[in-house]
Amino acid sequence: MPEEPAYSSAKEPQLVEWAKVGDMQAFEELVSRYRDRIYVRAYSIMRNEDLAVDLSQNAWVKAWQRLEQFHGEASFPTWLSRIVTNLCLDELRRQKRARTDSIEAMEETTGPVENRMEMETVDPIEGLGREELRERIDAALAKLSDKHRTVIVLYEFEQLEYREIAVKMDTSIGTVMSRLFYARKRLAGLLKETLKRDGLIE
Amino acid sequence: MNENETELKVQALVDGELTGREAEDLRARIETDDGLRELHARLIAVRGLMAGAELPRTLPESGDFHWSKIAQSIEREDREAKRLARPAPSANWLLRWVLPFAGIACLMLLLTLQQTTKLNLSISLASDHELELSIDDLDVMTFNTEDDAMSVVWLDYSIDLQQDELDLWLD
Repeated sequence: MPEEPAYSSAKEPQLVEWAKVGDMQAFEELVSRYRDRIYVRAYSIMRNEDLAVDLSQNAWVKAWQRLEQFHGEASFPTWLSRIVTNLCLDELRRQKRARTDSIEAMEETTGPVENRMEMETVDPIEGLGREELRERIDAALAKLSDKHRTVIVLYEFEQLEYREIAVKMDTSIGTVMSRLFYARKRLAGLLKETLKRDGLIE
Repeated sequence: MNENETELKVQALVDGELTGREAEDLRARIETDDGLRELHARLIAVRGLMAGAELPRTLPESGDFHWSKIAQSIEREDREAKRLARPAPSANWLLRWVLPFAGIACLMLLLTLQQTTKLNLSISLASDHELELSIDDLDVMTFNTEDDAMSVVWLDYSIDLQQDELDLWLD
């Protein structure tokens, strides 16, 4: 009887090759290695647990169906991350169509006023652990509008260029720059506020 | 260049999206402009804070459950893809039975239409036991028997020839 491959100790490219020829166990191993990472990316954009779980699941199904298209130009998790990001953007578009986008429209019109706000200085704080700071950044991100949070996630976490973000968000590079600038200002302001409130800065 | 545009350019410089001459010019401006220098420093600080700031999270359901849902979806979509790829049972029935019958019906219709065209069948016996035909697509076989004083002419044609259109002279 042929020996079963050692999936748990196999390297990622080997698992991908096995999965490409229909080995579901190899794919299961890939899922177990990257499921949290894919979920985190979906959650960062959607800020909704259930939606993030569903979109992560859909991303894995799409990945299985498109495995033939993966040629290793990027790493497998990066490729997967692009898939889940695209699904999240589609979902945001669907949600936008489904509701009257009055709040975001209001934010857009107040943009020029906000743009005149000073960019707050928020330096890494002495005594504040990286983990604690991350939690505060996460809380601040949750307060941004979908558009501004998405542009931050795509630029800072997904590490896309302005041009790539513009394509994904179906907008101009100028709009991406403007949204990113506004999102950073707002983020810096929110962080400063929370750190002040907690007595971590003057 | 207005103020807002300059701010966006400073951000592009911090993000490494501004290169070449434009980047050099802006760097020179930043060195001499306090406001731009401050903005530049703040943008760098915000970028520094954001690096690796994505909070790690764990999927809020068990790995096995998550995988089972993925595997079920994959199987369901595979089944659906296969179902769409192969012809429906009704289409199979159509291919097996209806199309051959339809083909035969078309052939018969064609032959019937040919029959309705006026046939010029002037058949005459030029000599004993011989038939001479004016059309080429009739196969003819003759059979003679001296004993019975009879000749049988067999016309092989897919339509019935009407008697009044035959002009046969038999011995």
